[in-house]
This record gives sequence, structure tokens and C-alpha cells, in this order.
Amino acid sequence: MKGIVFVELIRMAESVMGEEAVDDILDKADLENDGAFSAVGNYPCRELLQIVDAVGAELGAPVEALHKQFGHWMFGRFEDGYPVFFEGKTDGFDMLESIENEVHVEVRKLYPEVELPTFATERLDDGRFKMVYSSERPLQHFCHGLIEACLQHFKHDASIQMTERKDGDKFCAEFVMQKAA
Amino acid sequence: MYLREPIAPPTDAVSRRRYLRERVAREEAETLLEGKSRELYEANQRLQKLLGTMEQAVRDRTSELEDARVAAESANEAKSAFLASMSHEIRTPLNGILGMAQALDDSGLSDDQAKLVAILGDSGRLLLALINDVLDISKIEAGKLEFEIIPYKLSDLVDGMRHHYQFRAEEKGLSFEAVLSKAAHCSVHTDPVRLQQVVGNLLSNAIKFTESGSVSLSIDLVPHRSGKAVLSLKVRDTGPGIPKSQQLRLFERFNQANTSVTRMHGGTGLGLAISRHICELMGGEVSLRSSLGAGAEFHAKVPVDPAEERAVSVASVTAADAGRNLAGLRVLAAEDNRTNQIVLKHMLKKVGLTLEIVENGSAAVQAWKTGHYDMILMDINMPVMDGLEATRQIREIESRDMLEATPILAVSANAMVHQVAGYLSEGMSGHVAKPISRECLVQAMANALAAEGRWPD
Repeated sequence: MKGIVFVELIRMAESVMGEEAVDDILDKADLENDGAFSAVGNYPCRELLQIVDAVGAELGAPVEALHKQFGHWMFGRFEDGYPVFFEGKTDGFDMLESIENEVHVEVRKLYPEVELPTFATERLDDGRFKMVYSSERPLQHFCHGLIEACLQHFKHDASIQMTERKDGDKFCAEFVMQKAA
Repeated sequence: MYLREPIAPPTDAVSRRRYLRERVAREEAETLLEGKSRELYEANQRLQKLLGTMEQAVRDRTSELEDARVAAESANEAKSAFLASMSHEIRTPLNGILGMAQALDDSGLSDDQAKLVAILGDSGRLLLALINDVLDISKIEAGKLEFEIIPYKLSDLVDGMRHHYQFRAEEKGLSFEAVLSKAAHCSVHTDPVRLQQVVGNLLSNAIKFTESGSVSLSIDLVPHRSGKAVLSLKVRDTGPGIPKSQQLRLFERFNQANTSVTRMHGGTGLGLAISRHICELMGGEVSLRSSLGAGAEFHAKVPVDPAEERAVSVASVTAADAGRNLAGLRVLAAEDNRTNQIVLKHMLKKVGLTLEIVENGSAAVQAWKTGHYDMILMDINMPVMDGLEATRQIREIESRDMLEATPILAVSANAMVHQVAGYLSEGMSGHVAKPISRECLVQAMANALAAEGRWPD
């Protein structure tokens, strides 16, 4: 998993718990590099989950909610760091559709070795929008947060219906969105 | 400079400023790295694209070249085929011209008229030689020049060349000498016709370009360890010589030493090119030693296999004998072309034989059944029944009824080696190429009779 996710997770954690608490968590966790993450490195996903679990325990917060919040945080980071992906886009559904065909294409250029989740999208007849997350990693709630942040970015008042399911070894979640009339 | 003792680095605490500085540096490095990765990726993409474009360009160019090559080759083939077919077509009327010139000559002319007819005949023969050259070069270019390798007595080559060129040289006031070395008094396996062509071309050129002095031919055979031998044919003249700068061009087709040569001496400029090709196709070469004002020496070398000494050249009869002994023969000729019929008639009139002419192969078979003929002259391409089929039928009847075989001579413009071999395997006794000359025809008739054992001793 790309190091930027770890770097941002730690940054978010620091913003709510302070540096010392985060250092404690990192010290206690079983991390291959003792928590010295670089944005351009690659690290095991289980370390990310371990850190989120530890933060949840520290804060007494549900892990799923933390994942979701981290999704929001990450989206903000994308807005700041990669404005090029937002150029010419005025609709959240368009943006979500572009992940597979634009964002991931660019990611692969820089990091040909990455394993990316798939985001199948579908525009339903009644104006609803369906997106199916599928990955070897259980980051569906993180994904939920990203989607929420995206729709907020485009100032949509929309509902999101999330349905989790398992597909073999893969973690899947179906998100059905509907903008308010 | 007031350097102090090095201070030990702090063991635990790091200042906030230092920490932030490190962190910013790290983030900057990461951004930088990401930027470089991207540039690298894009440069790579550009290279890939360029590679694709270049490969496509190479493919396009290769295929264009291939098309051009195929087009050029087929154009060249078409040209060769055209030359071959034109040359062949020209030989047929030429047969009429040469034959009629001979007939005129035989018809009792005044001296002045005889001179005119002689020029007519000479011009016709020159034209024939040119056409033969063109045919040969087109065969060489098409890779279709054939060789018939048979045992050949080298003394026959010297005799033949003397016979053809001594008079021509002496007529011009040149002394002529043809020498056979001691080692060359033997037979070798080679193509006599092509060998004569090479030496003939060299001698003919030597005589043509030499105004005074001598022309000589010397033939030698140099044994080689492998059991093979190299036949060495040198033609020397005391002509004007050829400057070094023009020597290479000389062996290329349609090239004479310079264009004024063509105006002065005529010729196609094919002779040397043909000679060179023939020698090379036989595994040898032709070289030239000459300098301006000092004459020239053309040296042809051809590898040959020595032949058994007892292998003698084909039964041959001298021309004078031949004419005399054909008198009184009954000869049947199958020939559909009116002009050729007249040519044959006139050509054989002087010999004093009885000639009957029929129009096709079927008529020839019928005539042969009822008449008693000593020999048949058979055209190959004829309507109703061709000469080969007629020959087959006659040979079949002969063998069924146990009759003595009648000599059958093929008379045809199709004179390629494999064609002649085909005629002989179909039961024909010999072959005379059109346009026919009386000398050749009479000689071939005499040889055919001799081969059948009908030649009077």
C-alpha cells in the first residue's frame, strides 16, 4: 500500500490526538520500519489497519467511523495535491466515474507495481448512481468517506446507501447514491 | 578560525525547528521524486511512440522497396521475354532473306550481281549474329543459358577457328596464327558451341580492331592437382590497345571502349559481355592485358575435366565430300512455311538430290509410307501434326515392321540445348538450326547418313 496513505493517516491522527499520543501508538505497534513512512514508499496494509485500530482504541471511537473520517481527510489531500483531476468537472458522479479511467491510469504511470481497487460505476435509470468497490483490502468504509467528501466537494445534497458483501477473497461494497431533488 | 572540540550529538530531544525542517525536506524530496518518476514515465512513453513510428516507417519503407524490387524484376523479365520473342520472330524472315540470297548466288549471276548478292548475304549474316547476341544476353540475364558438356577435341577448336578467321585476318593483311600447346593435344569435357563462341568473339574483335600486324590464338591446358585442368585461351593482337581507364567498362553489356568505336566498327557491344558471362558461368574468367599503343591480350580461363582420349568428336565429314556424296539421294522435307520451302529447294538444288516437300507432319508420314526416301528433313512446328509426332509415328512403324531407320533431321528455330536434346530423344537423327545455311545443312545431312552407316566409304 502506498506510503502517502500512511503519512496522511498519521497526520490526521496527530491533528486530533497530538504528536505524543501518535508516537505512543507507533511505538507500541508492530511495524516493520518502526513507523518511519515515506509518501513514495510501499508498506503492508495490515500496518494501516493496525494503526487505525489503535487510534480507535485510544479515542474510544468505532473503527468504521474512523475509516470514514480518514476518507474525508484523504479527499481533502487530493483536492490540494492533485487539482488536475478536478479540472473541468462540475459533477460528483462524473468525478467518481473518472477514478477508474483517469486517476488510476495516472497512478499506474507513476507506480506500475501498485494493486489498485476497482470501482465499477453505473448510472441507473431513475437518476441514481451506483458504484461498486472491490478490493483485497477491507477499506470499504474509507471508500465511503471518500465518496461522501466527493459529493460534498461538488455541493451535492445526496444520500448514499452502502451495502457490504464478500466476493470470494475480495471485500466489496455497493454504494447507491441519489441526489436530492 | 576557532575550531572547538566536536560536540557529541544530542541523544534524545530534537528541537521543534529541526524536526519541522527535516519533515519539510522529506516532503520536498517525495514531491521531487514523484515529479521525476512522472518525467521518466513520459520520456519513456515518447520513446515508445518514437520506436513505434520508426518501426512502422521501416516496415513501410521495406515494403515499398520490396514492391519496387518486384516491379523492377518483372519489368526486366518482360523485357527479356520480349527480346527473346522478337529475336526469334526476326530469325524466321531472315531465314528467307539468307536463303534467297544463297539461291540468287547459285542462279548464275554476273560478277557485279554476285558482288551485290554477297553484300546482301553478309549483311543478313551480320544481322543474324546480332540477333543471336541479343538472344544470348537475354538468356544470360534470365539465368537460362544452357550448357551441353560433351567430350571435345581441342584440336577441333583450333581447326574451327583457323577455318573461320584465318581468311578474314589475311584478307585484312594481318598474319594469323593459331597454336595448340603440347599439353592441349587432347579432349576435354566442355560445351564446344559456347567455347567456340567465346574464342570466336575474341578473335573477331581482335581482327576488327587491328589494322596491321598479327592476330594470334594460343590454347593451353594447365593440369590442376584436383584432377581438373584449366583451359587457357589467349588471343593477342597488335592493334591500338585499350587504355586502362576503359578496360573495366569493356566487359559490360552495350559498352564499347567509347562511342566512336560503335560508329567506326559497328557491333552491338555484347560480344565481350557474353564471353565474360559464358566463362563465368563455366566457373572461369576473362581478363585483359593491354596498354595504349601496345596491342591487347585477352585471356579466357575455364576449368575443364579432361576426357578419355578415345572419345572422338561426332562423326564428321568434310564439306566438299558431303556435297558430292549427297547427289542422287531422295529426300523428303516437311515444312509448312512457303518461304522456307523455297529456301530449301534452292539450297539443295545444287547438290543434285531429289527433294519432295510436304506441308505438315501427317503428310510426311503418308509420303514416307509410299515413297522410298533416304532422309527426311522435318520442321518442328507445323499445323495438323508437328514434326515430333510425325517422327514418333515413323519410328513406331519402322520398329513394328522391322524396317531400317530413315535418318530424320530436325530443322527448327527452336535451338535451345534442352529442345535439341528432346528432338534426339524422340528419335530424330540430328538437328539444323534456322536460319539454315547450305553448309550447315549439307554437313548435318552427311553426318546423319554417316551415323546411320549409310555413308559410302
